[in-house]
Amino acid sequence: MVSSSAWPYPDETREMEQIQADVIVLGGGIAGCMAAIAAAKQGCRVAVVEKAGAVRSGAGGSGCDHWEQCASNPCSSVSPEEMLQAMMDDNDGYNNPISHYIEAREGWDRLLDIEKMGGKIRDTEGEFQGAVFRDEKTGLLFAYDYKNRTTLRIWGTTFKPAMVAEMRRLGVRLIEHVTATALLTEGGRPGGRCIGAAGISGRSGKFYVFSGRSVILATSRPARIWLFSAAYPGLAEFRPLSCIGSGHAMGWRAGAEFTLMEKSVRGEFSAAGRSFPPYAAGNNHNTWYPASLVDNRGVEIPYADRDGNLLPDVMHRFQPAAGQKFFMKGGNIEQAKYAYDGPETLPYQKLQEQGYQLPFYADLSNLPPQERKVIWGMMIGQEGKTRIPVLKDLTDRGFDPEKHVLQCYGVGWKSGDFLPQERQLFGLVGGFMNDWHLMSNIPGLFVAGDALFSSNCYGHAATTGSYAGRHAAAYARSVPEILPERSQVEKERLRVLAPLARDLENGYTWKELNHAVSKAMQNFCGEVKEDGLLLAGLEVLQGYENEIVPRTAAANPHELVRLLEVYDILTVSQIILHSCLARRNDCPKLEFYRSDSLGEAPEPLIAIRQEEGQIHTRQIPLDFAGDVKENYEKYNTDYRQEVSP
Amino acid sequence: MNESRFLVRQVEPAQPLRFDPGKCIGCNRCVNACPIDLLLPAQGKNQPPVPAYPDECWYCGCCVMECPADAIQLRHPLMNQARWVEKNKLKEGHKWNCSNG
Ligand SMILES: Cc1cc2nc3c(=O)[nH]c(=O)nc-3n(C[C@H](O)[C@H](O)[C@H](O)COP(=O)(O)OP(=O)(O)OC[C@H]3O[C@@H](n4cnc5c(N)ncnc54)[C@H](O)[C@@H]3O)c2cc1C
Ligand code: SF4
Ligand code: SF4
Repeated sequence: MVSSSAWPYPDETREMEQIQADVIVLGGGIAGCMAAIAAAKQGCRVAVVEKAGAVRSGAGGSGCDHWEQCASNPCSSVSPEEMLQAMMDDNDGYNNPISHYIEAREGWDRLLDIEKMGGKIRDTEGEFQGAVFRDEKTGLLFAYDYKNRTTLRIWGTTFKPAMVAEMRRLGVRLIEHVTATALLTEGGRPGGRCIGAAGISGRSGKFYVFSGRSVILATSRPARIWLFSAAYPGLAEFRPLSCIGSGHAMGWRAGAEFTLMEKSVRGEFSAAGRSFPPYAAGNNHNTWYPASLVDNRGVEIPYADRDGNLLPDVMHRFQPAAGQKFFMKGGNIEQAKYAYDGPETLPYQKLQEQGYQLPFYADLSNLPPQERKVIWGMMIGQEGKTRIPVLKDLTDRGFDPEKHVLQCYGVGWKSGDFLPQERQLFGLVGGFMNDWHLMSNIPGLFVAGDALFSSNCYGHAATTGSYAGRHAAAYARSVPEILPERSQVEKERLRVLAPLARDLENGYTWKELNHAVSKAMQNFCGEVKEDGLLLAGLEVLQGYENEIVPRTAAANPHELVRLLEVYDILTVSQIILHSCLARRNDCPKLEFYRSDSLGEAPEPLIAIRQEEGQIHTRQIPLDFAGDVKENYEKYNTDYRQEVSP
Repeated sequence: MNESRFLVRQVEPAQPLRFDPGKCIGCNRCVNACPIDLLLPAQGKNQPPVPAYPDECWYCGCCVMECPADAIQLRHPLMNQARWVEKNKLKEGHKWNCSNG
């Protein structure tokens, strides 16, 4: 049934607007806003293209309650080098040494920037005065490891509006409700210098051409590859429905190089029926660390240190184990190695043996009052998607953290249980390959935030955004302006507008295509990979591309944006299949397994790109970044002078 | 055609948003702030926006956070409404515990 109510916006599909700036930022999320601010402070004219409204867009728009790996804050006893070393070591080297060093080194500078913009980073009212997690001198609040103090508790709901106000103050041009669809390159050649982007309004259908001397891609990471629900598409994944890795698809078409795209994990955080809303169900992690867990009889489940020693009281949950310098996260959420492993409740198998009964519940009632208040109230209230959907919702329905316990689904921190083939790009996943400028292999194309390989987290997005902004500004000053090729622009305009002119009654919708792609990925690229399956998967997806995409249709610009997203999901799925084909050996750290593994040592990083449909791969050593401190200082001489008076 | 009291309608799996027309001032802040862009402005003045694509809702609550008039209520799909119990009702050996939140 095609229902018809009037579209409230004007039809501008025949129009084209051209916007010129020195630096073009694609995506106005955390990384994009911080990139724009940094580039504008360097004196550049900056334009930000954001597909929604920037004030609350992206994964971090609704909030964020903790800022991790902030080794540079004045209370930290861990150096940025130690922090990076731990992050690399914890992942057997399969991590981004450049971006995470930037995160560890510049986090505190960015928090100070955000505070100046109007974001709240410390307990200015003294609400938590005297609490063990509060530094009395600075008013900063810490989480997890109270001794080493590298993770800050913050009031993240205040950050995004402050960033948007700062962009306006600096004269950054914000183009909102416009989706970037393609990168424009010198001479229209794939692999050529990036000189702009094309985009389309999700309201009027107006086509945009953005040209700049450099481009920063900050459109986050892919999603809806394996997980999809036509009934609840908005709940299919952890990150927003609107963020599906369109930057990756644009980059791939333009010849950009990616790495670790073969890595996926079994679904952990999603809500497409299998899971409950993040942070709204019982658990003892992230926001909820270190809530007590009780079993169905109300008996408390013990916490233990990494050696299995039971912890005598709540306060020990914030302390490193004997002989341990620091731990990175409370609770073994990402299976930390022994060296960095924090306190955790006993493993389920042990609990079962000892007669603990399901279901388990998260219990804040027995925590010291300030610990309870900082979790229920401050953090649940500042975390992404918690202020209204958790704090307000549960409170309105009568939940009282002093009296009630909240049910866990599953046996630990997860908010649902998934099948092996229900996979997700969660945690440190693949993405754009980068150099020390955070530039991709395409000259002039910089990348920041969750679009980078092995990226994750708010502080990482803010720091890499700002860093990419500085470097893209310097690059912009060093190159001439080149205008986009008309033929490339025209080809893109025809591509993106075509579905609006197609037969709606007989056409495929974005949902039907998304479902088909996700089902194919579950079938052909599940938990265990095998060459024949992966190749069959490619054949299916290429069939969709050639035969189905030309028959997809959209009724209005909003639906068109959803459909263009699915085209990109189709492209990203193929990047993933090609990346899986390129890795020949099992690699447990990447949760990558083959039934036809060569049985040799796992390959290091494998970088992959396409050129005229041909796939090119190369191996990159895990330590490709060299001595991080030395190289950071070499590539950031101006920045160092700026911050050290 | 006969007059019928029945109607044909699209059956939705959830209704995430409820607007209070008595409170809404029609400012469209929610429309402009939704990260999914699923709301459309009302055609009439001072009327609540239209949740045109409710299934796309990410349940982030940003529309509620931005609303100056407290005119929006967000409700999770039934399957996603988390359960809690009174702690002191969790007793050794107890079997049936129905105090759902
Ligand atoms: C519920 C939740 C809670 C979280 N809590 C924490 C936390 O407490 N601590 C922490 O460290 N991290 C947290 N994170 C992760 C953190 O929010 C992200 O890592 C961070 O926001 C990534 O920043 P980004 O700029 O790369 O992406 P985003 O902030 O998601 O921004 C991407 C932007 O690009 C826009 N966009 C996408 N495609 C296009 C396109 N084609 N054209 C134009 N614009 C486009 C999007 O609309 C969006 O605004 C949380 C994430 C979620 C979902
Ligand atoms: S809850 Fe979030 S996704 Fe849903 S309508 Fe409101 S702003 Fe949009
Ligand atoms: S923000 Fe609130 S008052 Fe404004 S249009 Fe939306 S519901 Fe109405």
